Amino acid sequence: MSDMPQPGLRRRLAFPIDKIPLLLFAALLLFFCFQAPWFLSWQNLSVILTQTAPLAILCFGLACVIIGGGDDVVSGGIDLSLPATSVLAVAVVSIGVQLDVSIFLLALLAVAAALLAGLLNALMVVRVGLPPLLATLASSVAIVGLTNYLARQRRISIDAPWLVAFRDGDLLGIPWAVWFMLAVFVLYQFLVHHSRWGQHLQASGGSREAAELAGLPFKSLMLHSYLLAGFAAALAALTLLSRGSGSSPGAEEPLLLEMVLATFIGTAFSRRRVVTIWGALLGALLVNALSNGLALMRVDIFWVGTVKGALILLVLSAAAVQRRGQL
Amino acid sequence: MSQSTMAVNTASGSRGDRALMLFARYGFQLMLLVFILFFALNSPVFFTVENLANVLQGNAILLIVALAMTLVVVAGGIDLSVGVALDFGAAFALVALKTWHWPWQAAVLAALTGGALVGLVNAILILGFKVKPFLATLGTWFIGSSLERVLTDGGGPIAYRRMATAYHDIAVGSLWGIAIPVVIAVALMLICYLLLERTLFGKRIHAVGLNPVASLLAGVNVKRNLFWVLIASSVLCAIGGVILSANLRQFSPLAGQSYLLDAIAAVFIGTAFHPQGRPNVPGTLAGVLFLGLMANGLNLMGLDFILKDALNGLVLLVALVLSFWQGRLRQRLQWQQRGSS
Repeated sequence: MSDMPQPGLRRRLAFPIDKIPLLLFAALLLFFCFQAPWFLSWQNLSVILTQTAPLAILCFGLACVIIGGGDDVVSGGIDLSLPATSVLAVAVVSIGVQLDVSIFLLALLAVAAALLAGLLNALMVVRVGLPPLLATLASSVAIVGLTNYLARQRRISIDAPWLVAFRDGDLLGIPWAVWFMLAVFVLYQFLVHHSRWGQHLQASGGSREAAELAGLPFKSLMLHSYLLAGFAAALAALTLLSRGSGSSPGAEEPLLLEMVLATFIGTAFSRRRVVTIWGALLGALLVNALSNGLALMRVDIFWVGTVKGALILLVLSAAAVQRRGQL
Repeated sequence: MSQSTMAVNTASGSRGDRALMLFARYGFQLMLLVFILFFALNSPVFFTVENLANVLQGNAILLIVALAMTLVVVAGGIDLSVGVALDFGAAFALVALKTWHWPWQAAVLAALTGGALVGLVNAILILGFKVKPFLATLGTWFIGSSLERVLTDGGGPIAYRRMATAYHDIAVGSLWGIAIPVVIAVALMLICYLLLERTLFGKRIHAVGLNPVASLLAGVNVKRNLFWVLIASSVLCAIGGVILSANLRQFSPLAGQSYLLDAIAAVFIGTAFHPQGRPNVPGTLAGVLFLGLMANGLNLMGLDFILKDALNGLVLLVALVLSFWQGRLRQRLQWQQRGSS
């Protein structure tokens, strides 16, 4: 790794391997374009974009935690409680709207709940020393339990005017949810990739020991990353609320797997195969485009899980094989 | 740290230190005792032999799955596909019984084969393609549960009411007055314990889990050992699947998933009982019993089921935090003692 890259046979052989996921995605999208005539229509694209919003915003939050804690899934950072937190925020807002609580108070309450969940995770990870995977899995169960207790496992539909406006309105032909997603993307991209704090976060994720020796406050960086992830969950709640027009029990389950899938697929878009905010956005878009394309082609819904599972394994295997090529 | 500062430290806080030491050693056990007392005072049935036997029987499958998880976690990995392995075991057994009309012994063998298939896929992904265990088994989980839905037209159960009584007895029969699932689970637990703590294979798994690079340098065939751990884990889960399918007399797709989180929790709660905070078989048993007693106690209190679910999540969280905190405290105290002596 220390010497300059040399254009040898081995390097030329290694080249296509790490491009396999991208090539495959491109091939799949092209396939959809030809097979499903409506795939590229503006209406369909805008549906894909709108439906991506909650997933993408959750992925930004997860990306923060993974970037700060390192991308080893067991010992590094991960936050599996984000979908549950988001659904909790949705439930809180839905119940509040039914009780005619003012929307500002509700927004405040939802953000506070999400930040509290983030704080709980951070305390368990940093203070108690639980592996993040375990801590956030357990808090996810507890949060889902709390949500079900609050909402009594009912579907709560709301049609407050502001929600309808957010759901159906658009600016320059692009739905509000997509603008919102882009705004959150810009915020997180700036925080993680273009600010001093973000550089510190990346350093501590790269090597905890090196970061501590360089004088970076590892623990408070971890705390901040979990809080930022909780905040993302609160932001995702708005888009989730508009997508479902209210709160439904069990909404967190499909989101959890898709969030992990999209964030790790996103590593295929970075040159160093690391988790990035930009990659998370593209990963989320891809996952949703895939679901959409398969649905347009009338593929049995039960096969979709197989396709997605095979995809994540392919991306990860390609990344692993490439890493071995480097060593 | 020099001797004098340590001496001052211990002298100034001897009482607090002793309390801490006591907590570090018995904290979790004390909490368990408090909970049991609470439940016993709340419900007259809780402390009866029948109820405790019920708890044991109801958690036999969880114990088996948790043992599988213990093996994998000792080897330094994690297995999210335990539910799929369990389902595959149940499905293979039922198809063998119902469609192929195999004798029940052959059906059990078919179930073990089904479980081993899942383990094989995991092993190919983890050892062949070098995908990290968490993500590899997550992929297996995705694909496996999707396949279960595809093959059952969306998750309809496969029922077989007229199965051989010998097979049904695996779940409901009793041997020397003890329920057969409990007998199987305890036997498997003993085997796992002996395997992990009393054989060379077990020592190697511990070594691989603690430091794979060092054990490779020391001449351990890391890949071969991990391969057998992954296969053993899935086969164990398939045994759980056999018991489940025999009990319900049907295969219900995706039923195995409900054991995943409890199994992980039991293993990690169990690490609190080990001096070095390692996953271990007796600790896993304690973790399973803890979870089972909690659920049973909350059930007996007659709470509304939504509230019970919420409380269960909270109890899980508190138990994990306490057990890890205890483990950490004990390690720190040990380190201090070593420094002072």
